[in-house]
Amino acid sequence: MILICGIPSETPLRMVIDRLKEIGADFVVFNQRKFADCDIWYEVEDGEVRGELRLGKHTYRLEDFTGVYPRLMDDRVLPELADEPEGSPLRNFCRSFHDTLVRWMEIAPARVINRCAPMASNSSKPYQAQLIREHGFLVPETLITNDPQLVREFRAQHGRVIYKSISAIRSIVQELSDSDEERLEFIRWCPTQFQAFVEGVNVRVHTVGGEVFPTAVDSDATDYRYAARQSGEAAELREVVLCDELKEKCLRLSAALGLEFAGIDLKITPEDEVYCFEVNPSPAFSYYEANVGQPISAAVARCLAGGVVFREEEAVLASR
Amino acid sequence: MWLVMCSTADVSALWAYQGLKQLGLAPLELVTAESLACASRWEHRLSSTNTGIASTRIRITLANGLVIDGSRVRGVLNRLYAPSETALQCAVPSERPYAQAEMLAFYLSWLHGMPGVVINRPTPIGLCGPWFHPSEWAVRAGRAGLKTPTFRQSARDDHRQDAIPAASEKFARHSVIAMRHEVFGIPVPQSVAKSCRRLVSDVGTEMLGIDLSFDARGEWQFASAVSSPDLRQGGLPLLQRLAQILMQGSAKGARS
Repeated sequence: MILICGIPSETPLRMVIDRLKEIGADFVVFNQRKFADCDIWYEVEDGEVRGELRLGKHTYRLEDFTGVYPRLMDDRVLPELADEPEGSPLRNFCRSFHDTLVRWMEIAPARVINRCAPMASNSSKPYQAQLIREHGFLVPETLITNDPQLVREFRAQHGRVIYKSISAIRSIVQELSDSDEERLEFIRWCPTQFQAFVEGVNVRVHTVGGEVFPTAVDSDATDYRYAARQSGEAAELREVVLCDELKEKCLRLSAALGLEFAGIDLKITPEDEVYCFEVNPSPAFSYYEANVGQPISAAVARCLAGGVVFREEEAVLASR
Repeated sequence: MWLVMCSTADVSALWAYQGLKQLGLAPLELVTAESLACASRWEHRLSSTNTGIASTRIRITLANGLVIDGSRVRGVLNRLYAPSETALQCAVPSERPYAQAEMLAFYLSWLHGMPGVVINRPTPIGLCGPWFHPSEWAVRAGRAGLKTPTFRQSARDDHRQDAIPAASEKFARHSVIAMRHEVFGIPVPQSVAKSCRRLVSDVGTEMLGIDLSFDARGEWQFASAVSSPDLRQGGLPLLQRLAQILMQGSAKGARS
């Protein structure tokens, strides 16, 4: 049986649910917004994990779940808690429920797309870049510093330079301009990440269950996610074909990071060099599927229905 | 150059620093989380080339003038569990969570990029080695062959309380330190020592502190594990081995 967790109307989750229905998979949905009518417990004894999940009137054995697809929103901001004061019994139950669910997912002998621990490599972009580099991809020249003079020298060396957050907290990638010069002094308070701008075509590669879905993104914006704002025109997406070697490299990278499902951000230069910017462990694939028609949600559904796999060791740790 | 990185309140790391110095590890520098928070200059670079050459550069200038140049570091005893909050006080309250996430992400990257042997190298779930939830430790310890008390968690529990294996609190704890293929501290049966070694290997880190207790039948059982144990529990034998490992260095030293 497959367990889907999140808010069923959220587009990626809805698409996977639709595909699971189409293939006749046995699945249940934990709707976060109905947490108050759910319950969960698990225990670990002699290395074995067992427990129960109640969704409304139905109770399921946790051992029976062979696939799990969590796309959980921050439970603390669920609309059902909007009028609940801090520390209220309902708020506490909601937090405890989600904590128990997520802790179980980390140790469940099921295919979980994805577990938290391997997803954590994305919590530091330069850390993840070092892992990416070990798998044969180029990474942009990167400088993290609190010294404005080093940034000026870096810009003089590379011409076009972008800056973005170091952590997983989303930031809009911006190009460093002359008008930013005055603000450079602010970095003395917090080291900031700068990268040489890489010319080329953005390619998002979704990998799931051994399948690869590459999508080229044509845009003049520095950050194509905000193309309309940055360049006045929305990005255009198109399906592309990657050579077998590059597809294999993408699959190996996802596997090495311990990710069943990943969104790999590449840039392919006019000289055919392949740079990798980051690996997104919780890709919102629906944007790509809706624009290009690549059957990513069907691949996720197939992967979930693929049966029990035992936990892969966190390749992030093993790769050291 | 060798480094001991720790908080100023980490008594056990300060003990190790003094001990390693007496054992002749030199030059050995004590770098505290607080001194890093006040570093006057940070420089961390990543690059790669088509020919497969990758380089990572770390250069930190502390307020007292000490320069930590990654290319000259042969080994690190890393006990940093988080960046000091001193630096975060400069951020306005609304931006503190962002500054905290940025600093943590930055520390993870430069510590990962440190050449030589690092005990313990950082992971995304712990700056000085992995910090697992007790449920995960229970699974891993059981898999390593250690007897484990039943761990139970439910939505009815108070999430604000630290989760601990129910049965382990009733009994006195005994601590050992597993480092690579050896176990230091109180003597334990061979089978228990073997499982402790297997656990540290399974976790993929250099050193773990493992708390053990006796169950109702007097058998050794796993209680908990940490990646920054009280090093004093390992005594001089641990320090001597630590010094030896740091002196030998590792293949990663060629990277910087």
